[in-house]
Amino acid sequence: MALIYLTVMLIVPLGVIAQDGLRAGLGGLWHAITLPVAWHALTLTLWTAAVMSILNTVMGTLTAYVLVRYTFVGRDLLNAIVDLPLAIPTLVTGVMLVVLYGPQSVLGGWLKQTWDLRIVFAPPGIVLALLFITFPFVVRAVQPVLLNLDRDQEEAAATLGASSWTIFRRVTFPELILPVISGALLSFARAIGEFGAIVIVAGNLPMFSQTAAVYVLGEVESENRLAASAISLVMLTLAFGLVLSMDWLHKRQQGH
Amino acid sequence: MLFQRFLTIISLVSILSLTACAAPTNPNSAPNAQAPVKLILGAYTTPREAYSKIIPSFVAQWKAKTGQDVTFEESYQGSGAQSRAVVEGFEADVVALSLEADIDRITQAGLITHDWKAGAQRGMVSTSVVAFAVRAGNPKNIHDWADLTQPGLELLTPNPKTSGGAMWNILALYGAALRGKVNGVAANDEAAATQFLQAVLKNVAVMDKGARESITNFEKGVGDVAITYENEVLVGRQAGQQYELVLPQSSILIENPVAVVDAYTDKHGTRAVAEAFVAYLFTREAQEIFARYGLRSIDPQVAQATAQQYPTLADVFTIDGQFGGWAQATPKFFGDQGLYTLAASAVQE
Repeated sequence: MALIYLTVMLIVPLGVIAQDGLRAGLGGLWHAITLPVAWHALTLTLWTAAVMSILNTVMGTLTAYVLVRYTFVGRDLLNAIVDLPLAIPTLVTGVMLVVLYGPQSVLGGWLKQTWDLRIVFAPPGIVLALLFITFPFVVRAVQPVLLNLDRDQEEAAATLGASSWTIFRRVTFPELILPVISGALLSFARAIGEFGAIVIVAGNLPMFSQTAAVYVLGEVESENRLAASAISLVMLTLAFGLVLSMDWLHKRQQGH
Repeated sequence: MLFQRFLTIISLVSILSLTACAAPTNPNSAPNAQAPVKLILGAYTTPREAYSKIIPSFVAQWKAKTGQDVTFEESYQGSGAQSRAVVEGFEADVVALSLEADIDRITQAGLITHDWKAGAQRGMVSTSVVAFAVRAGNPKNIHDWADLTQPGLELLTPNPKTSGGAMWNILALYGAALRGKVNGVAANDEAAATQFLQAVLKNVAVMDKGARESITNFEKGVGDVAITYENEVLVGRQAGQQYELVLPQSSILIENPVAVVDAYTDKHGTRAVAEAFVAYLFTREAQEIFARYGLRSIDPQVAQATAQQYPTLADVFTIDGQFGGWAQATPKFFGDQGLYTLAASAVQE
């Protein structure tokens, strides 16, 4: 029953994309991917997702650490807020960022005037949107592991005179490395496919700020299904690779 | 744990969508002159305000004439998306779209079988021109196409890949340049026109999905100029927006087609009322409403009466006359190796 469900809901639709993308053979696929606009869209998607993943990994791990190890007023509330990005339509996220950093806002105007820095309608806006959307992933991957961690070793290290930073680095962090990577991969995979927020904040200029997902929409709308499926196939393959490596990490973690 | 959370969300979503599917659908009653009838209109977003006035007046007239009640189900979205929805099974009885190519798609799918261009107006119910929206007081001194290449100017135009409106914009600009109506660009020189197109594209700051999103972004304060339809600017001003309309001396005539979708009207038994509705759109009454909501009328008398509001441009060209119709213009400009596609990638290099 569950297998039939899985086949109907997931495998068949994914198969259609794959088949569609390969319709014109590998040569056609390669041609579609290497068109300058398509290629740029793909690389832009990958580097913004990578920058986001790095930032998110560092800040997400720290956030999880603070939420687990420190008691302070409002901790429960903060803990709940972490999940909010999952519930907000990403379109709303995009609109919010434009309101916050757009050229008409106080902050956006100041950044532009003082630093000639453009946040929205440029790649930095994409990174910001992705950071917001994927914020929960690393935190929620690290938090449970941190909660279950045996604290004896940390206390032993503290008795031996190690500073709290050394303890984190030498004792706690090695235990967290697998969940951190798995959280990072999950946010990367999530970022590759993001559309709703990006279409609002990016400005969508081909060869400058148009991501793969937005490019795919353009090709669908202009009846170029082959190009659309080809790029989708690349995104799908990347995501699949990431999910597989995550799975492998989980297995290692459990065997650990 | 994370995955459990996902599973919960996914199952919630699927339950919701199942519930939505289970909503009762209207039983398809047999066509009967006196039984109420439902007409489905699939339109592009621009004339929404006009239709909200035209439809009630048609309903009243139809009731007086035949005694039958008509209810309307209206759907508004981007012209291309609407046209694809109809092809893929959205059973609109009447379609009102932004460009002919979107009707052609429905014809090619075999859903429109009559010659919808047979009437005196060739099926075009309203027209407009490509124009500019500028900030109050026109601080950047924008008067014509050539002004759009000022260094540092920020332009808004939607993405031609997703928006019919954007295709009109690009063709208006290119056509004006080719016709020698842009200062500093030689007439009939394709290379010079392409160069001009690149210079303008260089100033584009945001490319939205559709014409509506683009003007909404402009209303939020983004950019100095939005290239758009004249009617978008007029409707925006009616709604209290402070931006101003600038008409270039040369522009493309945007013609908006309507057609009865044969396959669906025959299926619903709504042909009589659908045809009457389309005919009504060409009456003076409906044309005056279109003119009130920013669209240029195709009725000569209404056009004359509203000439003050809609000044004649020095030079107006059409998609057929200048570019040999959409069938030729679409691949030539917007294909993989199209003029626009290449210019857009060259700009960022």
